[in-house]
Amino acid sequence: MIDVHGITKKYGKLVANDNISLSVAGGELAILVGPNGAGKSTLIKSICGLLRFQGSVTIDGHDNHTPEAKRRLGYVPEFPVLYPMLTVAEHLEFIAKAYRLDAWEKNAEELLQRFELDDKKMKLGKELSKGMQQKVSVCCALLPQPKVIIFDEPLVGLDPHGIRELKAVISELRDQGRALLVSTHMIESMEENWDVTYIMVKGRIERVCRRKDLETNQSLEDLYFTITEGRKQEDTK
Amino acid sequence: MSSLVFLLTRSAKNSFLEILRKPAKLVLWIFVIAAIGGIFILSLFTRQSVNSFLDLIWLEGVLFLLILIFAIIAIQKGLSNGDAIFDMSDVNLLFVSPVNSRKILMYGIVRMAKMAFLASFFILFQSNTLSTSFGVGIDGVLMVLIGFILAVCLLQIVSLLIYSLTNGKPARKLTVRLVSVAVFLPLITYIGVQLVKNGDPLLALENTLRSPFAAWTPVVGWASHGTVSLISGDMSGGFLFFGLIVLAGALLILYIALSNPDYYEDVLVATETTFEKKRGIAEGQINTEATSTRKVKVSRTGISGFGASAIFHKHLRESFRANRLGLWSLLSILTVLGAVLFSLFLRGEGSGILVLLQVLMWMQIFFIGTGRGLKELYTHYIYLIPESSFRKIVWSNLELMFRIMVESLFIFCIAGLIMGAPFLLSAAAFLAYTLFSFLLLGINYLSLRWTGADISMGLLMFIYTIAVILIMLPGLIAAIFLGSMFGDIGVLIGMGILTLWELIAALGCFALSKGVLHRCDMPVMKPGGR
Repeated sequence: MIDVHGITKKYGKLVANDNISLSVAGGELAILVGPNGAGKSTLIKSICGLLRFQGSVTIDGHDNHTPEAKRRLGYVPEFPVLYPMLTVAEHLEFIAKAYRLDAWEKNAEELLQRFELDDKKMKLGKELSKGMQQKVSVCCALLPQPKVIIFDEPLVGLDPHGIRELKAVISELRDQGRALLVSTHMIESMEENWDVTYIMVKGRIERVCRRKDLETNQSLEDLYFTITEGRKQEDTK
Repeated sequence: MSSLVFLLTRSAKNSFLEILRKPAKLVLWIFVIAAIGGIFILSLFTRQSVNSFLDLIWLEGVLFLLILIFAIIAIQKGLSNGDAIFDMSDVNLLFVSPVNSRKILMYGIVRMAKMAFLASFFILFQSNTLSTSFGVGIDGVLMVLIGFILAVCLLQIVSLLIYSLTNGKPARKLTVRLVSVAVFLPLITYIGVQLVKNGDPLLALENTLRSPFAAWTPVVGWASHGTVSLISGDMSGGFLFFGLIVLAGALLILYIALSNPDYYEDVLVATETTFEKKRGIAEGQINTEATSTRKVKVSRTGISGFGASAIFHKHLRESFRANRLGLWSLLSILTVLGAVLFSLFLRGEGSGILVLLQVLMWMQIFFIGTGRGLKELYTHYIYLIPESSFRKIVWSNLELMFRIMVESLFIFCIAGLIMGAPFLLSAAAFLAYTLFSFLLLGINYLSLRWTGADISMGLLMFIYTIAVILIMLPGLIAAIFLGSMFGDIGVLIGMGILTLWELIAALGCFALSKGVLHRCDMPVMKPGGR
């Protein structure tokens, strides 16, 4: 459902993404990991159509800039930005109206309950803590029931309940056949669910690893350090 | 070398090297310096006859008003969080270091003075206006600059002191509020008496400015009267009032340093608040309502519209919730009041309404960015809504266009009535201003589309300003040239041509910026360090 071919993104002389290709099928949870400055957020923003780039991205077969692709895409940004003068409920109502959703109220109510926001429906965006804003941001992305959902560091700022719920939601979405791409530094928190991992270093995908590729007793974290720090040692040699 | 001197000198050196390393920044600085130099030279060649200059008392009035705004902000800051004279890096590294806290306070004040100096740069751009309106030379402009810097520095110290004295003490906060009002009470009483006595608001204002009540108003009066005294050659008066500011500042610093060596807690909240604001802006939250501490009552809720029109209805909901007057913000009210004051000054002048239009157009170049439509570009929502780019842009700017139309209608109706301008001229000014705002929106999108938003905000602003001048130039030349050929009715013909050009140019800009939402990077605002 997500098909990325040869994305290159430059900022002046800096190559943030260097000829990256990846794909995530329906019912698949792909993890994007890498050290700070590896280019993960740039890649995610490019896939979501927030940055210009060379290459191509399709969402469920549609170019990522088309309304058809946007209708199928949900995005949870790294930094939740809410409208300070809208209530929590109005954020969801705005998304529902802008996406022309029918009978969205029940789904919105369920999402708010799940993330313990049902008693904060009348709170303004500016009155919420960072963690609460992140939860609203997740609800906004999930309300249109998109086929493809992209999360950029979704667990940062969430409380333990929020982390547990979001991990459960991610598992459910995968089981429902949606394509999920999650960028994270918290490797251990995704250890149970992932299907494919893309390890990025210096703007390139250094390694693609499927769960079956892991050796016995080898964790995703072990693999990550082998790739990122092993390479660093080679570089110093 | 002392660690604090090292910090100051190394920061200055690194800032300079950064300018050299970044060609865009270097070009920008060269342009700013050249522009200031150019304005200075221009002011030497545009001297009018001495009789046509305005009385310097009005310069004192303008300075008084400007510094008064800064004073109100400083008092408000002092009563809420205090003024930020330090950075988070100072808090994290300096405050925990074994450096004497009083020396650190001095370091903060030196940095604050540097910021006040940079903030007052805009005065240099006014040197031509000061020269042509008041006959003020370069020396006079420098006096205005010094007076302004001294006042801003003292106000920042006052803000810090107010916070330090009133933090967590509601009774003291009330006292500060009462004292702040009491300071201006003699002046307000005097202006009231003058108004009753003379009946003419302008004469009452002039008499008040000439009275000792204005000159002896703390900080605001000292700075404005001291500046004008020096410009008019009254050295003793000038040094007396400037000396008062310096003395008051030194005494307040001494008081803070001696009475409260453990002032870290007092400056921490302001520093953290400023840091959070900057971080919020860098993360895409450029809406000032997000950091406002004003209590907002949520009564009516809900958003209408469908598809892209939901953006317009969302903006209406946000505006009506943020302001009691709905589409009218505080800026709208200040603009209308300013225009009324301006009209009073220009009453009887034949071309008064055109001068007002010119001033408002200049202001609008910079204020257009405060609209909700352009702010939407800094968050991801508008990019991801599954509608065409064109529809989203149109609907996201409709609220602003309504606001400008209403503002423009009020401004030019009231100004036309005060100045006794012909109805058709007022109507033409209304159209020219409204369509100019429409054109500015188009140029904003075109600048983003053309640059891809992949440049610094400073450079983007620079390109946008140059684009406004270049795009307006053909229309202005045609309007002046053709208008001058038709005698009395020429003004109306000229305005008609200008309006038509604005409409054509705006439509052209919007057409050329087609697809801006997927042909440029989502812009990121990077607030500069102190």
